[in-house]
Amino acid sequence: MVAIYRDALPQVYGYLLLRCGSVAVAEDLTAETFLAAVAATERAEPPDVNVAWLVGVARHKLVDHWRRIGREQRTLAAVESADDRVDDPWDEHMDVAAVHAALADLPVPQRIALSMRYLDGLPVAAVAERLGRSLHATETLLVRARSALRRAYREGDDRDV
Amino acid sequence: MSDPLEALRLPDIPIDPRPEFAAALLRRIETTPAPAAARAATVRYFVSDLDAAVDFYCALLGFEEELRPSPVFAMLYRGDLRLLLSVPGVNHALPDGTLPEPGGWNRMSLPVTDLAASVAELRQQGVRFRTEVVTSVGVMQILLDDPSGNLVELFEPLEGYHERRRSTP
Repeated sequence: MVAIYRDALPQVYGYLLLRCGSVAVAEDLTAETFLAAVAATERAEPPDVNVAWLVGVARHKLVDHWRRIGREQRTLAAVESADDRVDDPWDEHMDVAAVHAALADLPVPQRIALSMRYLDGLPVAAVAERLGRSLHATETLLVRARSALRRAYREGDDRDV
Repeated sequence: MSDPLEALRLPDIPIDPRPEFAAALLRRIETTPAPAAARAATVRYFVSDLDAAVDFYCALLGFEEELRPSPVFAMLYRGDLRLLLSVPGVNHALPDGTLPEPGGWNRMSLPVTDLAASVAELRQQGVRFRTEVVTSVGVMQILLDDPSGNLVELFEPLEGYHERRRSTP
């Protein structure tokens, strides 16, 4: 663990900081990731701890973090989840930074699905596996999430004007 | 048609965290104790001839060599027992210069499934036994010497034998 720490630390921290945008949160989740790796190496059949494995753990830690936040904001999420309208035309010149910012306004399951699918570039099947949902349910979730993201992005535009 | 949201893909950019954070986390990693159940119990034996000791424990008593980083130290494992073998040297000395010596009567106790067969096999290999097989409470046991004169006890559980069950992590 100590041997790969210097190489892996900027990779794990970079992954988390780009996605949560907060130094404090990124540091907490980075520490949780490496301490989980230390515990894993003590298992009877330890995993091969490398950068890819650590980033996978970091992704779990980030998802857990969003779910924790989500529980604190459950009322808001419930209201937004009720809105199932599909509305998905994207501008040719979308403001990527603003779309990233809009992700934080989504209900947590939608935010998690979109982050894995688009920020991390995982195939839908891999997103489904990590969420423990069927492929069909994940596709449905992604369609609703895209639509919700589109609305959040537009509302963000309105606020800026 | 390409998906416009593919533009959201974030690159894998390594970012160095604050140096104080990096140093503090490294200290935590280095000092985080392993879960107790995963740690092997450790015994240290002093031996006069390291090669002879490693050969003896590995060839005859089922140990495996894990490390032999120097001519005066080796680390062996037998299941979840870790055996450290050291040739006495200045870093083991008492303040008055006294060095530890192999021998004495304390010993580690190794379970075997068929004591009579183990003893017959070890006798054939030339192992010195200090006693004959003795039947005691819950076990049959025998004492043998390693090449440096350290005692090892072999035992076979009998009816009524008791041992605390290991907790599994």
